[in-house]
Amino acid sequence: MILAQGISKHYGALTAVDGLSLDIPAGQFFGLLGPNGSGKTTTIHMLATLLAPSAGSILIDGLDITKDPLQARKKIGLVFQDSSLDGTLSVEQNLLFCAGLQGLSLKASRERLQELLPLFDLQDRRHAPVASLSGGMRRAVDILRGIVHRPRVLFLDEPTVGLDLPSRKRIWHFVRRQIAEHGMTVVLTTHYLEEAAPCDQVCFIRQGQAIARGNPDALVHEFGDRILEIEASDIARLTAQLHLKQNDFLMEGNTLLVRERHDTQVSLEEIQQQLAQQVETLRIRKPNLNDVFLWLTSGTEEEKTC
Amino acid sequence: MLAAIRAVLVRELIKMFRQKSRLLSAMVRPLIWLFVIGGGIGSLIDSATPGQYQRDIVPGIIGMTILFGSMLSSLSTVYDKESGIMRMMIVAPIPTYWIVACKMLASTVAGSVQAALVCVLLLLLGFLSPAIMLNPSFLLAVGLTALACAALGMVTSALSDSLDNFASIMNFVIFPVFFLSGALYPVRDLPAPLLLVSRLNPFSYGVDLMKRAVDSGGMASDFGVALSVGVLVGFSLLALVFSSWRLHQEARQARLFNLAGGRSR
Repeated sequence: MILAQGISKHYGALTAVDGLSLDIPAGQFFGLLGPNGSGKTTTIHMLATLLAPSAGSILIDGLDITKDPLQARKKIGLVFQDSSLDGTLSVEQNLLFCAGLQGLSLKASRERLQELLPLFDLQDRRHAPVASLSGGMRRAVDILRGIVHRPRVLFLDEPTVGLDLPSRKRIWHFVRRQIAEHGMTVVLTTHYLEEAAPCDQVCFIRQGQAIARGNPDALVHEFGDRILEIEASDIARLTAQLHLKQNDFLMEGNTLLVRERHDTQVSLEEIQQQLAQQVETLRIRKPNLNDVFLWLTSGTEEEKTC
Repeated sequence: MLAAIRAVLVRELIKMFRQKSRLLSAMVRPLIWLFVIGGGIGSLIDSATPGQYQRDIVPGIIGMTILFGSMLSSLSTVYDKESGIMRMMIVAPIPTYWIVACKMLASTVAGSVQAALVCVLLLLLGFLSPAIMLNPSFLLAVGLTALACAALGMVTSALSDSLDNFASIMNFVIFPVFFLSGALYPVRDLPAPLLLVSRLNPFSYGVDLMKRAVDSGGMASDFGVALSVGVLVGFSLLALVFSSWRLHQEARQARLFNLAGGRSR
């Protein structure tokens, strides 16, 4: 559905995206992950025809979007990081406005509204001014705005930033339904990496380059079996005592993370016994995407400093 | 594409009628000018025919209603840029020039509606007759003036990043455009530099068309009909091209997204 090859974006001397390639099949839930400023939003804006790439090509549903952006936009829904709604207008007026921009007739727009509002239980808020809604509801209206024209591809740029847990859950539930019921392709960016666990495929980007990609479960499985998390004030000294292999541990402030893999000799239980008296917190847990990313980026940093 | 016009127009009208205090001041402002300035200056110069000066500035007063109505409406494009709505309009599958055209058209309608309301007030006060109001040349004058004012507002919005400098827009755009248009006095006797400015001011040609249509007897028009129509339409088209180009550039350089989002990447 989306095929990007070697796309780059330069702003003067600054390179926001650097030769990124993506291949996202139809109906996939795809996560573009990375810290703030890693080039996620620039990538999304390029994929959504808003920014012209400095180099590379992008096909959406076989359509070269730089040659025919208007045609491509019909297939694309885009929800920005921050709201694009008119706070003085009601929910209904905002959605009708967007539907009109997308070329829907008034009748078709109204019918579409009947389908959309129940997706986030907004029926009885339809006449409320958007400015009076809670953050979660406003984001919900923003998302509905993005799918008003039944796009094949939906881009969600940091859709859950600043929202409470129930609102986030509603958004994920909505995304899964769109994929299951309409075969929509959904491209997500987030820096809450653990939220990307339900994705079919994720791509970690850093400084505009892809540094790892794959299925989240597979990535986590490949990464390791268990994580030992140790918190202590003199963590550096304790770490030195343990004589761990370079790639098996990671220090983050006062926390030491040790990973256990099928091919390593690390025994978390041994470390646990060794240190139990000297630390504040000590726990063993399953690894997640966050750990994968931490390890990936710490590696590159060490290479740089060496 | 037609659905887009409808959507933009409906939004503009909803907003216009929702801001009741703004609409009310748009109705009252011209009347203040008519009675305060028209009465005051009129008493200074009207010795032979009392009230002649007031009748003479009626076209200019209608022009002022349109100038404020259309221009403030299209200046709201700056708010659209700030609030991310413009960005969302750019993502719609319609060309940028069409979005600009829709906005300009909606502002033209907004200004014309306000002019119509003021005309009804003027009718009730005895300054206008139904025959003049329904005269096609008057309607054309109102429509084209509203279009040119919307165009002027659009160019201003295309060049501004925020409405913080609204006071300077007022000082350096709206006031000079109004005062140097022949709305309050004939411009032909102005000193050469000001005369030049008034000739370059598209709003002058709209006021002139209205003077011609209202024909109060005291202030003759300065330009031919063809010239006025040509300038108003020509200016609006140029403004459309320039504003579209400018917004397109802003979108491509990601400035629009930075403006709305505040985050650089």
